[in-house]
Amino acid sequence: MISEIREHLAADMLFAAAQEVFTSMLSAQLTRENSKNESVAPFDGVMSFVGLTGEWSGTGLLICDSGVACDLASRLLMANCECITDEVLDAVGEVTNMVIGSLKNWLEGHMGAMKMSTPTVVYGKNISSRSSRNDLRTSARCSYNAGQITFTVCLAKV
Amino acid sequence: MKTEPLELLIVDDSAAIRKILQRVLQQTDLPIAAVFEAGDGQQALDLLRLHHVNLVLSDINMPNMDGIELLRALRASAEWQHLPVILITTEGSPAKVAQAVELGATSYIRKPFTSDQLRDKLSALLSA
Repeated sequence: MISEIREHLAADMLFAAAQEVFTSMLSAQLTRENSKNESVAPFDGVMSFVGLTGEWSGTGLLICDSGVACDLASRLLMANCECITDEVLDAVGEVTNMVIGSLKNWLEGHMGAMKMSTPTVVYGKNISSRSSRNDLRTSARCSYNAGQITFTVCLAKV
Repeated sequence: MKTEPLELLIVDDSAAIRKILQRVLQQTDLPIAAVFEAGDGQQALDLLRLHHVNLVLSDINMPNMDGIELLRALRASAEWQHLPVILITTEGSPAKVAQAVELGATSYIRKPFTSDQLRDKLSALLSA
């Protein structure tokens, strides 16, 4: 129930999920930054989405600049990725998939079964996003030695 | 440890995960002769008909034929009913684990995983 899931608790779980992925698969330590649950202001970089559907439906989102996207791909693929390519975007999508997938396992205990879509990754300039309805919106803004990365989940009761 | 050359099959719709698994496999001291890749369960079955594979590493959530359906097909086949299958997925719920074990998964790894966890699991299975 939404009353049992305070947004700050969901944000804690989102950060914990991200931290686990970064520690085990990217060999990096995340630090949590202060974050506000607000719409994404236009920026240049990469935005990766996965859809969540069930009794509660919505989107899990990863946002970072292109330098961080290349660093994530380099770490995940154990390769040297210097510019945005399909391989880099696939890697960012997979990081999103793992972080939101881990959070989904926790959310399902409170909000019922959910299915998760394959990731869609957008790269461009002056991009922004908005969810039209949010009964639960939570974000975890994080940093590590390559820069900042933000994870957000927006869910609405169907 | 088995010393004959091993042929392995990676089944995952994520190109990134297939690449990670290839890299981890390259870093093991296992005598790997070939690693084949499939993007879903149906492609995996097609490859299995062409090659003698010693072990399958498969995602669960995939389009067309998912990992559970693939596992069901393998266990229903006389040829592949004992083929070791490790399922790799973000689906860490106890119900999914129980379903995978009940259907005959040899082992199970939850994403995210470390290279060491995967290497240990492979070495244990292939040396058994």
